[in-house]
Amino acid sequence: MSAAGNGIEVEQLVREYKKGPRAVNGIDLQVAPGEIYGFLGPNGAGKSTTVHVLTTLLPPTSGTARVGGHDVVKEGPKVRSLIGVALQEAALDPLLTGRDHLRLQATLQGVPKERRKVHADELLERVGLADAGDRKVQGYSGGMKRRLDLALALVHLPRILFLDEPTTGLDPQSRTAMWEEVARLRREESVTVFLTTQYLEEADVLADRVGIIDEGKIVAEGTPAALKAEIGRPSVHAIPEHEEDREKIAGFLAQFGEPLATTRDVAVRLRAGLGLTDIVRAVDANGVRIADLELRAPTLDDVFLAKTGRTLEGAQEEAEAEQEERRA
Amino acid sequence: MRLWNVISGVAWRTLKNALTNPQIVIPTMAFPLFFFTAFAGGLSQIRHVPGFGFPLGYTAFQFVFVLLQSAAFSGVFTGFGLARDFEGGFAKRLLLAAPHRSGIVIGYALAALIRWMVVAVFLTVLALAVGMQVGGGAVDLVGLYVLALLVNFCGFFWAGGIAMRFRTIQAAPLMQMPVFLILFFAPVYVPLELLEGWIEAVATVNPVTYLLETGRGFLAGDPPHALGAFLLAIGLGVAFWTWAFLGLRKAEAAGA
Repeated sequence: MSAAGNGIEVEQLVREYKKGPRAVNGIDLQVAPGEIYGFLGPNGAGKSTTVHVLTTLLPPTSGTARVGGHDVVKEGPKVRSLIGVALQEAALDPLLTGRDHLRLQATLQGVPKERRKVHADELLERVGLADAGDRKVQGYSGGMKRRLDLALALVHLPRILFLDEPTTGLDPQSRTAMWEEVARLRREESVTVFLTTQYLEEADVLADRVGIIDEGKIVAEGTPAALKAEIGRPSVHAIPEHEEDREKIAGFLAQFGEPLATTRDVAVRLRAGLGLTDIVRAVDANGVRIADLELRAPTLDDVFLAKTGRTLEGAQEEAEAEQEERRA
Repeated sequence: MRLWNVISGVAWRTLKNALTNPQIVIPTMAFPLFFFTAFAGGLSQIRHVPGFGFPLGYTAFQFVFVLLQSAAFSGVFTGFGLARDFEGGFAKRLLLAAPHRSGIVIGYALAALIRWMVVAVFLTVLALAVGMQVGGGAVDLVGLYVLALLVNFCGFFWAGGIAMRFRTIQAAPLMQMPVFLILFFAPVYVPLELLEGWIEAVATVNPVTYLLETGRGFLAGDPPHALGAFLLAIGLGVAFWTWAFLGLRKAEAAGA
């Protein structure tokens, strides 16, 4: 795999903040041209810092990164002309209109004058902002700002697109629209997409390959299917009808596999060769009543749990608690 | 060509905000016009003070100060905009989109210049309308406005350097106060010869004094130290240009 085309190559990348933690701690990754790479991890894991380094916004402390065949430190201008970027917080000017933003971005990126207006109209149409294009951004909703941000990232027809948590805070409808647009870009325009997310479903639906990052290190990498296959076995989740049966259920379910740390239900990762019918028989034999019984295929959260010992949601809560502590 | 794209894009956006939003355009215009009418009108009797000696009268005497002051503050106010862009995150968009980032700084400087030129036109028209006398010829007047242009660059590059180091609008007093002080520690209301005590000592070594006296000399048609004033203004311009570009490097290293 080479980054000479539209790919990304990262070797032993480190970024340390002054008086702060090592946000990125020696990561290696490769993204093939035309691939959607999902970079999954909780808040504070190092996702955004990695994007900032790859997009030349932040110099690395050590290590190398090449984007589209160009070194991000030595060939910043070349990298910037190849990439489109939508950062986590849409950097927009509230006093400018959506169309003004597109005009500015097109000028900065060197889009020929005669193409700027037509291109702006096309992009506004494509992201569903044709009617709002002449309104000041201060009146836009969060979803509209995100869509404008995506349009801005596409102004100069970039070969590589960086999307830093593009759907955080969006309603389900806007999120689906964003996914469709990202998938279309890869399918129809062969754009390489580096997508950071904290949503498992997003990585699962969109990404060809996923890198899972935690505390600045990549803890797992592969296609979503391969990562889940690594975990291999499904899990069974039971919700007791009567709360007092919880321990009894946990006791007999333990015969079928290793217990999983969950709060709402009682769950085990099934041993090879066992299925739901074995569990149903055991429930019947033990004479307990179950409100709900579910067999779940492994998810990326299971991968995260297997690699870090925490669920993604738990890691998220930890990160938020840490941030609160720092603020206090 | 790509550098010019960045310069023109940044300047267009800065000017669009500065000249089409009443909350920005009104103070920009009103500040120098108010100073001019207040100083030139309210203090006009100073022309009768023995030793005043400026041949064109008090309106012309004050006009040059307000012209240079508006040049400096148009630069400083543009620096405020740059600081706001860093604080609000918009500077990230510029840093990500611009192949040549020096174009961002130059674009803001161009915006500061055009912003001042709009003010300068209004100020000049007002001054002529209230009967300001002009003694110098076309070359002298070009000299006066070019000198003011250099002051405008100095004002912006000073403030821009601060903006890119602190990257917050909270640094605004740090951008504004030194410029305010250095301007007002020059012979603003009366010629240097009429100043006494510590203010005279400060004004004598204040570089703005030389720029101001030369500017007034241009308007009167007899600039006292034209070459020295231009060398001084260019030297300060180069120093503050360097200061601003080192500030850009700091902002880049910090990831904006």
